[in-house]
Amino acid sequence: MNGVLRAAAVARKDLLMEWRGRQTITATGMVALLMILLLGFVLGSEPGRAAAVLWVALGFAAVVGIPRITQSEVEQQALEALLLYPGSREHLYWGKGAALFIMLSALLVALLLLLGVLFSVDVWTHVGALLGVGMLGIVGLSAIGTLLAALVLHVRGRELLMPLLLLPLALPVVLGGVRLTETILAGTTSALWILVLVAFDLVYLLVCPILFEVVMDEA
Amino acid sequence: MRNDLNAGVDTSAVITRGLARRFSIEWAVREVTFVLPPRSVLLLVGPNASGKTTLLRLLATALRPTDGSASVFGRDLVRDADAVRRLIAFVGTSAGVYDLLTARENLRFAAAMGGRPDAPVASWLDRVGLTAVADAPVRTLSNGMKRRLALARAWLTSPRLLLLDEPYSGLDSEGLTLVAEMASDTTRRGGSVIIATHEWERGMKMADAVLALAAGRPVEIGPAAQLTAADLAAAAGGTR
Repeated sequence: MNGVLRAAAVARKDLLMEWRGRQTITATGMVALLMILLLGFVLGSEPGRAAAVLWVALGFAAVVGIPRITQSEVEQQALEALLLYPGSREHLYWGKGAALFIMLSALLVALLLLLGVLFSVDVWTHVGALLGVGMLGIVGLSAIGTLLAALVLHVRGRELLMPLLLLPLALPVVLGGVRLTETILAGTTSALWILVLVAFDLVYLLVCPILFEVVMDEA
Repeated sequence: MRNDLNAGVDTSAVITRGLARRFSIEWAVREVTFVLPPRSVLLLVGPNASGKTTLLRLLATALRPTDGSASVFGRDLVRDADAVRRLIAFVGTSAGVYDLLTARENLRFAAAMGGRPDAPVASWLDRVGLTAVADAPVRTLSNGMKRRLALARAWLTSPRLLLLDEPYSGLDSEGLTLVAEMASDTTRRGGSVIIATHEWERGMKMADAVLALAAGRPVEIGPAAQLTAADLAAAAGGTR
């Protein structure tokens, strides 16, 4: 119970700071918007391309936004104080991961609206399924992203390292998200890709908190 | 060198045996052995780069020792780090508070993370003289106010070992009184305090013992009453 309270306190703190500073959401929002406009312009805005464009935009926005969740602690010189609170560092992982999940989910909603307008996709008919798949993918992105944000914390050139680490590891999630979004927009379903997405989410959620604790011990 | 400050006391606040920490090939702290009894204040003095902050960070479990061992109220620093964290509070040279949160929100967060979500945050803000600015964003506060907030954050968990790194810098006279109050409150509750400072004259007013470091090694350790001002000035300046 204490661990849940600690994780909730971290998530609340991160979201409150983001609400007031709007640094992560502005950066991720701008990158996602640029990706959608650029890809739409280059590839054309046919509805069939909407799924891939959505997930590429979300993936690159995550690359920009994920390092911020731990970097802000360093900028405020608050990391040491955070690490010296008693209790498992896993609670920090769950709190930071939850805050990241909520931020990326807010971005997903905005991107779906944008796709509906720019790619003439009928988002409203499938809104529940699209949000469900999107959040399933964001769980995976947040799970692996929170670990990587801790891993690159003290690395010079982390902006370069983050995409090199995140994109290959998040590939199954992004690929699953693209395929499922395509099937939803086509009015069908794919049990295989749902299984793939859920399986990778579970693996990341089981492994990443343990690795996060190890990484933070060395921070 | 004296290291028997705790002769006859069973449960020591801090025991270190050959504690050492190396960064790359440089030893920041070496062969630090001392015993600190409960209800006492240890003053850590020495010139720049003498290892004072590193020693405090080792005791706070922020760093792992390269060699040697240490315990805080019987809990090993490495094997039982989480238990040690429940007993200590560390105030570093930077306040380490969140600029985008208010003073009240900072303390509420600290209380929740310290396992005391019901801590009376308002009374702690009052105690450190921040009631008037409790709901102002921390970025609008002065450095001295941020230092007070950091002190309140450490204080509200009622630590048994209080580790203060340069606690006097940036504080006005009321803030300095606050540091003294905080130290005496901790010792009154059976805890101990370690203060690392250049301003040894201030620290001596409350110190029971002094540990002087030079190039990471202890050069002087003993009861404060037995050290002369000349000894301390020499130790703090690194000429001993």
